[in-house]
Amino acid sequence: MRFHSDLKNIRTFAKLTAAFSALEKLVWLRLSDDTAHFTVVPDTGSQIWSALPMDFLFENCTIQSAEPGNTINLELSLQPLHRALKSAQNSISASLRLTKKKGVPVLSMTITTTTSRPSHGNAPAPSRPSHDDPFGDDDDFPSAHLETSLRREHEKIITQDIPIRVLHPDTVASTVQPVLQEPDVHIQLPPLLQLKSISDRFTKLALASNGSNKSPRLEISANMHGGLRVRIATETADISSAWTDLDNPELDPAQLRVPIEDHPSTKFRDRGPDSWASIYVDGKDWSRVLSAGRLEGRVIACFCHNHSLVLYVYIPHYDDAGGDDAVLTYHVQAYTA
Amino acid sequence: MAVLTFTLSEEGVTAFRDALNCLSKFSEDVSIEARKDSFFLSTMNTSKSAYASFRFATSRFFGRYQYQGTGPFQEKFFCSMYIRGLASLFRSRSGVESRSEGDKQSIIDRCDVAIEDGEGVKSRFIARIIFRNGLTATHRLPFEVSMPVHAKFNKQEALYHWSISSRTLKQLVDHFGPGTEYLDINTDGDHVNFTCFSEKTISDDAVLKKPLHTSIAVETDEFDDIDVEDKLQIVVSIKDVRAITQHAAITGNAIVARYSLPARPMQISYSGDAISCEFLIMTVGERGGNPEKRTKKVRKGAANKGSNSISKAMPHLEETSRRASSTPSQTMADIQRKQAASPSMPPPSSSRQPPNPTPRLSAARASASRIGAFDFRPSQRPPPPTLRSESLFVEDEAWEPVRDDDEDADEDARLEWDHSADPVSFPLQSSRSWLEANVRKNPSVSHIGRGDDVRPSGYEPTEEAQPTAAESTFLDPTQRLSDVQGLALFPD
Repeated sequence: MRFHSDLKNIRTFAKLTAAFSALEKLVWLRLSDDTAHFTVVPDTGSQIWSALPMDFLFENCTIQSAEPGNTINLELSLQPLHRALKSAQNSISASLRLTKKKGVPVLSMTITTTTSRPSHGNAPAPSRPSHDDPFGDDDDFPSAHLETSLRREHEKIITQDIPIRVLHPDTVASTVQPVLQEPDVHIQLPPLLQLKSISDRFTKLALASNGSNKSPRLEISANMHGGLRVRIATETADISSAWTDLDNPELDPAQLRVPIEDHPSTKFRDRGPDSWASIYVDGKDWSRVLSAGRLEGRVIACFCHNHSLVLYVYIPHYDDAGGDDAVLTYHVQAYTA
Repeated sequence: MAVLTFTLSEEGVTAFRDALNCLSKFSEDVSIEARKDSFFLSTMNTSKSAYASFRFATSRFFGRYQYQGTGPFQEKFFCSMYIRGLASLFRSRSGVESRSEGDKQSIIDRCDVAIEDGEGVKSRFIARIIFRNGLTATHRLPFEVSMPVHAKFNKQEALYHWSISSRTLKQLVDHFGPGTEYLDINTDGDHVNFTCFSEKTISDDAVLKKPLHTSIAVETDEFDDIDVEDKLQIVVSIKDVRAITQHAAITGNAIVARYSLPARPMQISYSGDAISCEFLIMTVGERGGNPEKRTKKVRKGAANKGSNSISKAMPHLEETSRRASSTPSQTMADIQRKQAASPSMPPPSSSRQPPNPTPRLSAARASASRIGAFDFRPSQRPPPPTLRSESLFVEDEAWEPVRDDDEDADEDARLEWDHSADPVSFPLQSSRSWLEANVRKNPSVSHIGRGDDVRPSGYEPTEEAQPTAAESTFLDPTQRLSDVQGLALFPD
């Protein structure tokens, strides 16, 4: 079993791991020739299923495996992975390699980097050069301090060994993605930071007024006319926030299993703006799901009334504007009324 | 009457607080030692594997400094205080530039300290803090008069040394993840490897709970100067190194490390503005095959400056005679024992060039040629950030999931140091005894404790046995009713 690859989009990778680790400590990574599957399945709560094109995060990649389909299944701890990726940010280059150290398999990240040097020993220089000034690009090369600028470019090689467990295909066979239904309502969510701070406020309010340990349930509803509502109802209070004029994206008829006119969302649209698809979510779990906002992507929510809520998070390329977006699928833990 | 009075300026308060914060990562108590012309803060950790000391240049650091020795303190005054109590005086309200105008008013303007002791006088550390908004707060802290414990370092014995910019070292240490215990420093040709690892044994099914294992290869060229035996492995506690580099990076000056062999102490020193800092930390590790070979590079000027600052740093360190244990045969035995205790490190990554067989000057020459090459490589610059948060390990708070207030209580408690009272668990028996042997104690000093914490000096060994005796005769100030019902005050 062999895997090595250079890393790209390290910022995005680090943000991904941060979003994953909001839900679980461990991630199951399935690598194959063309796709990297990251799957986060906590014991309870929402799940993340994603299939990223290999060239989204990796380049110059080699995979050799005796398993069918040339796949490698790994389980890894997100915290060390995230930490290693943070080390790799702003590096010159970074690569990842599956290897054994002292007989224990590890995912070894090799990072080539430099440390920035202050120009004067005593001056409290900022630890990192500022990039605010669009014309300040050449600040890193002050001609006045020749010796300093010569000495700051020393390369360092950092090796970060991330503990992993290699999974047998049989072990992972029982973990399957929940079935997706045709949604009643699909809608693009407002900026997640906004949605999150309001949801979090509701959750805290309910926690404070309840006094019990029971996690509060938020009611999330949407219609096919650009409306979204978040509501919390406790014994003493009933609060809701509403968004209007959100986008209900058009569906691509070619991708549908049913004719567009028979699609549940078409029926919901025809029934008018008072026709809401609703679902209850666990306040704390919802807050963890909304951490996906740090990916700064477009988020489409798909509601099946009283049944399920699925979020699709489209991740933009930060480092490579031309590349295709990748998608994370959040199966939100949902409750009926 | 005041034995000692001094004034701290605004910057002085900050520097004082930084020093206390650093000391607090080693121990709970700080020893203060004052003479007419010197002022020390020092501490030693409970396992006696690390010692930290800060020397303040009285004339430059303090706005005013007056020592009036009387009675037993003719020559010098010393006492020991609870760091947390002392540091809390200076905390929070000072510093931070980015504050709003209103907050700036509550910045500490200066601090007048008087230490009172003597016959018929309560032993108090009195700090009068004058805020910029005109408010004055006076704190009276108790202290314990106890002789400070100093560890000594024999510089003659320290064959090897290196010095490096404290900020560079801090940036390196920043790459180490949490959960590790040890830092292995070893040389390999013209590279110095810093490896951070854990030795906690972990069962097979918990393999994913292992911390990140980090190794950093640094060119010897990065060091201001370096002279270390090739392949020598020195292992120290990462927690201590973190504490040191964090403080050192504030000063921004070069850090000098001096050491000899594994199981002998390492001295780390640097100087700040009117402060000299010295740390002694115990080492373990193992030695390479050929003690003759050195990794060496000297930068002119830097070397002189470095050694100067050291000799200034700890003038009171007494020469300690080399103990028999440093004879080769015993040292080897030591090492073998250490080897048994700590499995040897894997050889550094093979991707780098094999160790350079040419001794001594080769590294220097290589570095010289490198400098001559004027390697301006724009491609090496990190790509300009597309998004805001740029600091290496700053998390975006807004995206953290909502938490219970209960959970918050734990995490938000502003504890800046580890309270688990878990002394650094070095496998260091033999090395520990070294520090102990160099500990000076003065048993004849009267004790004025804080609270009921009075204990005779030289008392530590029987510490464990004491509580049982105490339990039967003493009662806590508050008890459960059920516990005291049997007593005369509460007849049935």
